[in-house]
Parts: sequence; structure tokens; C-alpha cells
Amino acid sequence: MMVLLLTALLGVQQGLSDSDCTKLHASLKPPTAELWRDIPWKVSLLEAQNQAAKEKKPLFIWSMDGNPLGCG
Amino acid sequence: MNLAIDQWYTRRQKDPEGDLYRKIAGQSPQNNFNSTTQGLFLAAPDGTLLGFTNNRSPEWVREMLKKGIAAYRPTETALLENRTPDPGYNYRPPEGGLVVTVTTKVLKGYEAASTTEIGFFQNSLGRDVLWVRKDEHEALARGELMDSLKRRLAMFNLLDNTRGEPHHWEASEVKKIDLSLKNGVLSGTVHLETASGDRAYIADLRGTVESKNGKVTRFDVVSRGQAWGASGCTLTAKPKDKFTLAVACRLASGTDEADRVMPQGAKSWLPDYLR
Repeated sequence: MMVLLLTALLGVQQGLSDSDCTKLHASLKPPTAELWRDIPWKVSLLEAQNQAAKEKKPLFIWSMDGNPLGCG
Repeated sequence: MNLAIDQWYTRRQKDPEGDLYRKIAGQSPQNNFNSTTQGLFLAAPDGTLLGFTNNRSPEWVREMLKKGIAAYRPTETALLENRTPDPGYNYRPPEGGLVVTVTTKVLKGYEAASTTEIGFFQNSLGRDVLWVRKDEHEALARGELMDSLKRRLAMFNLLDNTRGEPHHWEASEVKKIDLSLKNGVLSGTVHLETASGDRAYIADLRGTVESKNGKVTRFDVVSRGQAWGASGCTLTAKPKDKFTLAVACRLASGTDEADRVMPQGAKSWLPDYLR
């Protein structure tokens, strides 16, 4: 009881409750409405080139260190 | 046609896909393939460069696209074939395994942002994936958490990737992984810290793992704890002192193109990542 009281008084976070877990999980979900995600990105150059060639459209390539759709 | 790639892989690929990328980038200022070739390219399907910028401001990108599209003349172009993709740079998720989406956020610890760009960094959500092997998946479905999966999650996903690519944790930097799975509840703690103590993450984990007919149907796990330090490309605008870092895992939907992105931790060598 003393430990719980001290913890509460000092504001120290002890573990994660189910409620913390649910809230935190929801808050780290990527937003559904993100402008940059509205663009139909592909991650395969082969597939993008094939579609571009069929539709006679140019290829716009976002080329980064780490895939822009994920990985840091 | 819009393509998002990690050029670290594509510029190294010894196959027709890599050849096409090097043809495109080779016409731009990013033509040294021993170094990063990152940037925004516009190219005809045959690989003729139409535009390039490495400035990501909307004005610069819009201008580059306007000029490049105006210069584009549609022609018949052969479809690229890649019958033998370079296995060193074309990783696929383990058959029978799982793809888990992992997001990361700094919850607390930043000073007020001095610029709009720093504000973006401070509010950004880091994204990565965790690949789970078939045997690890089967174990999870039975209610067991294999050490290899604990290790992979800790080393490659419990880190601050909200401002770019960090260094993953080395095996020697995993001071403690005390995780268990009991009655569908995954819980425990981790302590990850460099030898010099300049970077660390000490956190609690908790979540729910559910399965049906031998397949995992839910893997909702979060981690929250105190972190300090930065590495690699995450040094820019890092928190000055200790900060609260949270990580969340969920099964990939399988319908999002981003689910096909390879794990950051697999970058050096997939077999080592999946070990």
C-alpha cells in the first residue's frame, strides 16, 4: 500500500495497464487521412514501369534512404 | 505512375530493375552509385530522365513536375522483365510467417519547435515492419513467444525512428528482454543500451495476441518507456534530454502497398535479421 501511495504521489509510471495499452495503441495508429498516402504509390520499380509503359505515362520516383512508405 | 523506393537497395541491384534505376539516376546529379542517390525523379518508362530535384519543398517539386510533364512525349515502350531478380536486394516476407506494422512516436521530451520542419519531426510517426518466421508464427498461435522473435522485436523495432534511420541495437546492447506470453497477454520489460550509455531505451511492453485455427489474428502490442540519445540519421532535432518513446505493433492488413516494404533491420543481411 505504501509503495502504491508513493508511486502515485511521485507520479512514477509503473508498467502499462490494459487501458493504457488500448489508448496508446490507438494513438499510434497512422491517420486514415494523410494527403501523401492518398497518392497510389507502388514499391516495385518493375510493376511501376510496366504500368507506366502500358498507360504511356511518366514515372514519378520518390527515392530515399529508407522507403518513404516505412522504415524510418 | 508513382513509385516510392529505398534507393539503398535499387541502386545496388544487379538485374534489369537495378539497370533501369541506374539509367534514370545516372542522368541526374545523383550519379555516383557508391553513395546515396536519393531525390525525386520524373522519367519516361524507357528510363529517359524528365526531371529531378532533391529539394522536397512543394514549390520545387511542382515546378520540376510541370517542366518534366511538358517535355514528355508518350511512345511505345517495352515492358521491363526481371526473370531473375537479384536475391541480395529482393527480400520477401517468410512464407507462413507474419508481417507486423510497427509505428513509433516520441510522446514527451521535446522543447518547443523552433521551425516548422522541426515541428514535423517532433510530431512524426516512425514506421517500419517486423517480419515473423513461420515457426515463430506457429509458436505464437500456440501461445508461445520464441526468443528469436523477442530479440528481433527488441533489436530492430524498439528504437526511435521518428526522424530518419537510426542504428539498430547490437546484440551486446540488449541488456534485458523479459517478455512473456500468458493467456494471450504479452507483457514484460526491455533494457537496451549502448556500451557508452549514450543511447538507451528502457520500457514496459504489453499487448494482446489472439489466434484462430493455428493462425495469429491479432498482435496488438505497445511499448512505452524512457529513452535517450540518437544515432544515424536521427540526430537532427533530437530531444535534448531523456524522452518518452512509444512503439505500437499490429498485424499488417495485407492490402496496403506499404505492407510490402522490407524491414529496416533486414537492410544489411536478411538471414541475420531472421536469425
